[in-house]
Amino acid sequence: MKGNAIKYEQDNIDTDVILPGTYLKLHDYAELAKHAMEGIDPDFHSKVKDGDYIVAGRNFGCGSSREHAPIALSHSGIKAVLALSFARIFYRNAVDGAFLLPIEIDEDAYKSISNGDQLEINIEKNTVKNLTKNKEYKMKPFSELIGKIIAAGGLFKYKP
Amino acid sequence: MPQTLFEKIWDSHVVVESDNSPSIIYIDRHLVHEVTSPQAFEELRLNKRRVRRPDLTIATMDHNVPTSNRSLPIVDQISEIQIKTLEKNCQDFGIQLFDIQSPYQGIVHVIGPQLGITLPGTTIVCGDSHTSTHGAFGALAFGIGTSEVEHVLATQTIRMEKPKPFEIKVVGKRKNPHAITAKDIILSIIRHIGTNGGTGTVIEYRGEAISDLSMEQRMTICNMSIEAGARAGLVAPDKKTFDYLRGRKFTPKNYDDLVSQWQETLYTDSNASFAKSFTIDVSNIAPQVSWGTNPAMVCDVTDSVPFPEEYAKGNEDQKKAAEKALQYMNLKAGTKMTEIEIDRVFIGSCTNSRIEDLIEASKVIKGKNVSSKVRAMVVPGSQMVKKQAEEMDLDKIFKDANFEWRESGCSMCLGMNPDILAPGERCASTSNRNFEGRQGTGGRTHLVSPVMAAAAAIKGHFVDVREMDLN
Repeated sequence: MKGNAIKYEQDNIDTDVILPGTYLKLHDYAELAKHAMEGIDPDFHSKVKDGDYIVAGRNFGCGSSREHAPIALSHSGIKAVLALSFARIFYRNAVDGAFLLPIEIDEDAYKSISNGDQLEINIEKNTVKNLTKNKEYKMKPFSELIGKIIAAGGLFKYKP
Repeated sequence: MPQTLFEKIWDSHVVVESDNSPSIIYIDRHLVHEVTSPQAFEELRLNKRRVRRPDLTIATMDHNVPTSNRSLPIVDQISEIQIKTLEKNCQDFGIQLFDIQSPYQGIVHVIGPQLGITLPGTTIVCGDSHTSTHGAFGALAFGIGTSEVEHVLATQTIRMEKPKPFEIKVVGKRKNPHAITAKDIILSIIRHIGTNGGTGTVIEYRGEAISDLSMEQRMTICNMSIEAGARAGLVAPDKKTFDYLRGRKFTPKNYDDLVSQWQETLYTDSNASFAKSFTIDVSNIAPQVSWGTNPAMVCDVTDSVPFPEEYAKGNEDQKKAAEKALQYMNLKAGTKMTEIEIDRVFIGSCTNSRIEDLIEASKVIKGKNVSSKVRAMVVPGSQMVKKQAEEMDLDKIFKDANFEWRESGCSMCLGMNPDILAPGERCASTSNRNFEGRQGTGGRTHLVSPVMAAAAAIKGHFVDVREMDLN
């Protein structure tokens, strides 16, 4: 899985900036995608490409339980968010609906990755390769439950 | 082995647990609202599934409902579709709904306890992060996303990893409990432990200062557990809890038997151990006001807006975050909090919209007028709260002071309905999140208690409510 990094160098990127409340009335995913990250980066929709990754700091996705947040990112083309840590509800929403991969990285990886770097994620080996900088980082392995849900392709496809 | 309250509730709800597989937890009550449920019902239909326990599922509409005159049609057509969709879903799947015309309609976390749906020792979920509110009754209550809503509708269970117990001891006696409220306590806690201080945990709030609080005040505390990143927050039930729930619409008939059982089981054993512990002394805390764009960016009303370097204590990321927050909030470091002028006041939300909140705020307002520069509104948490307030003539106090007196709903807490801030407007708000754009694009939110919001409405700027006569 290869893609380019869109980096936001900050902690606490909340669900209200990922998808502002006023759009929670929308049901059309393509419409939701047009407003992804609007609260923090109004140009996001015009610059995001299919297969891109978001890189951010601690507590990504804090706040509301709205599943519209990972849906909007997913339908914008975002395949994974790489962050120092995640808020729990966002994390589960991302995995349950198989919208995107929430990947926990360490400080070194976070500092090393620049906006626009091409990354390659390998969840079997738990590695993130930075093809632009020719570096390799470790990602935190998924827990057993999360790994199984991801492998199955979502909560409802997972049969223990 | 000695156990914490959380562990006891968890264990009594485990359907499947083994070393090699994650837990399946039984859910006693599922609360549903119009925003996070449509997709879940749609998927049930597509997969030809039924709702497993419609009798344990209760719905209302709160997030996008208008708070203006309800005899008029809803102007926003997209909102109306969402509301009609919930009506149809509840009809099709046999779920009890308190709709926009119901006397029981209101914010889902306000009506749950008011109707006696929330009970000690139960598990409660809702597609809303502030479900933690119900923990005030000694329930294990947490927010879930729409996929999990679907899972609970279909199976009445949830799959999750067991969180760790986190003890927050709240000690000391507040000097002026009318001025130093539950909101000030929880804002102080989040200010100290941070927005991810509770990640992966269930907080148990304990200590004399928690026992001192009324049930509604405990709800305010548990409500904001999520703002510290916790899965849930809870308080062990006591006589106040049992008295509050007695004789409500859905209170079980064998209530006294249940109370005896709860008294025997629902407490943390004296030598149980917590994964984490934090102690706060509330005897000297001041009224709290948020200055930034997350609920940990909070200071005393007697303080000045912090300098980013001071706030960050050497942490470069924190410094940048504070600089960005001050820029968004259009605040200058060093400005006294009491010199910050406001444009709007919002008294409402699942954090602070219950009858006690309105009674306390009305004491500040009685016989005074909202500053001519300020537009202020009260949005009661439920139609039951509204009716009760009107029976006490609180609506007259607010209206005489030029507050708008509205119908119940989430309203300006999250800016989904027409109640929003205009870009650049500054609001003293009793809600729970001061995120960028939360109350409307470009809006600036300061989180405060109801009495602090009321005082700011009168003066047009923040004031130390301890200086006002609250009796």
